[in-house]
Amino acid sequence: MAHYANAKSRRNIILFLCLLLLLSSFAGILFGSVSLEPAEVMKAFLGKALSSTTGTLIRTVRIPRVVGGIFAGAGLACAGVILQGVMNNSLASPNTIGVNSGSGFAVMLAMMLFPSSARSIPFFAFGGAFITSLFVFLLAYLGDSSRTTIVLAGITISSFFNAGINAIKLIDSEISINLTAFMVGSLSGLTAGRLLLPCCCITAALFFSLLLARSLNVLGLGDDIAGSLGMRVSLTRLILLLLASMMAGCVVSYAGLLSFIGLIVPHICRQLFGNDARFLLPCSALLGGSFVLLCDLAGRVLFAPFELPAGILMAFIGGPFFLYLLLKKKGGRRIHA
Amino acid sequence: MLEYRHVSVSCGRTPILKDISLSFPTGKITTLIGPNGCGKTTLLQCLNGLSKVTSGHIFLEGEDYLRLSPRDRAQKLAFLPQGRTLIPSLPVKTLVEHGRFPYLGFSRKKTKEDSDLVQAAMDFAHVSQYAQQSVDTLSGGTRQRVFFAMTLAQNCDTIVLDEPTTYLDPENQRIFLDMLKQLRSQGKTLILTLHDLNHAFRISDRLALMKGSEIAAFDSPDQCLQSHMIEEVFHVKWKRFEDKDGFYYFFD
Repeated sequence: MAHYANAKSRRNIILFLCLLLLLSSFAGILFGSVSLEPAEVMKAFLGKALSSTTGTLIRTVRIPRVVGGIFAGAGLACAGVILQGVMNNSLASPNTIGVNSGSGFAVMLAMMLFPSSARSIPFFAFGGAFITSLFVFLLAYLGDSSRTTIVLAGITISSFFNAGINAIKLIDSEISINLTAFMVGSLSGLTAGRLLLPCCCITAALFFSLLLARSLNVLGLGDDIAGSLGMRVSLTRLILLLLASMMAGCVVSYAGLLSFIGLIVPHICRQLFGNDARFLLPCSALLGGSFVLLCDLAGRVLFAPFELPAGILMAFIGGPFFLYLLLKKKGGRRIHA
Repeated sequence: MLEYRHVSVSCGRTPILKDISLSFPTGKITTLIGPNGCGKTTLLQCLNGLSKVTSGHIFLEGEDYLRLSPRDRAQKLAFLPQGRTLIPSLPVKTLVEHGRFPYLGFSRKKTKEDSDLVQAAMDFAHVSQYAQQSVDTLSGGTRQRVFFAMTLAQNCDTIVLDEPTTYLDPENQRIFLDMLKQLRSQGKTLILTLHDLNHAFRISDRLALMKGSEIAAFDSPDQCLQSHMIEEVFHVKWKRFEDKDGFYYFFD
């Protein structure tokens, strides 16, 4: 059953998702291997108790982690919405078409070649993501652009780059990275310094994607109609691809290969809120952020004092939920971006 | 007036259109007819950029059409391509609102005028009652009218429709042709391709008969019949019947 919200219920849905994000953020700050008292957290926020252990914990560990989680979820979910629209393929996502792996490979390459300059990593991540998505898009454009081709090409590219990532790690044992956490995606050990640039880029890309939401809708009608409606189809598609790569690449640069979120959050939102990109993009961003935060929180709390990377929890929680939604969907409504 | 002057289109070395010169009269219905693969769709696709004009010019109201930006083009000429591969799962109203895209661009908010034009287009195409329903849940005939409403929402004086009635049942075909006549009476210029010769002859003021990448005849339906070009191009015989509603043609 398709849900098409009117303006008022759209506002309510957005409000609800904002609230969900706010609550998840607060929970992300409050809970962890050490649970904090809400009062202490409030004090730390108000600038009191800055020097206390709690204050330090909040400022240097929990807040970067929460901020990183929000941007990771929002960025990947929106990148998924955009890629699905640009490729006219509901199976596209930064993960399924290999963009994440391409970006991850570039990150590993950067770590090997320039071990001292951590600042260059986001650029490499973005470059890797963009080149990969351009490559997949060209494959789709030149070959037959069927869903199967794109997904098969994506799987191939993914395993190619994953092999590259593993090879680099084996060759260069100096690289200071927890490979498992990087491969499944994790938010541990984030610092404000590492987040600043990627988060700024993601914010900018989100802003421009929202401006282009209407174009994304028109692109979903096919190139012939988009052209007839006065769109510069190739240019628009390239810009959207650039934005999606920027978001996916930035996330990979600090959170690793968080899979799944770019596929599943857009689909959850499509099922719940319909396919209009102007509404789908903000919903996916908000829900994506909350989803990553909650998964990360679950990974920290459920198995304390051990910590499972967010990516693992995401597959554990998100997978069954997504299957449930797929089963619930009767009548086989076609999903197009 | 839309005017093609010596327009050629080639794909690699293969010519698809050879030196086409045509003037589509303002406020009339002009229909392109011709066998499959004669270049009808290519001729129209010069207008939305899907076919690249290799040489020649197209003028719309005296302006060099091909030099206009895609957006300016879409504000002057509305084009509904043939056959739909992608049926979006969007509400009808949202889809029809896409017709305002040439005016709204990326970020402009829609105004009262936009909403009024969208509503008028939906009313005209008899799809207002489906406004909140998803396009992919509708029947083929209704869907086609929804896309037609989107084209009308562009609010252009020149409307180009590539095979608008293909895949429609007789009733929906009739509804569609009635709408076209109504648009003509509002002074719109209509350019169509049709496969059904009977419809083409009944509705058109002018026929452009295409054969092998060229225009074989460009005349009123009656003149086209008199010239025997129809028999030559389509290898059919025809008969004409008359009643109080006008002429009917039978092609066999």
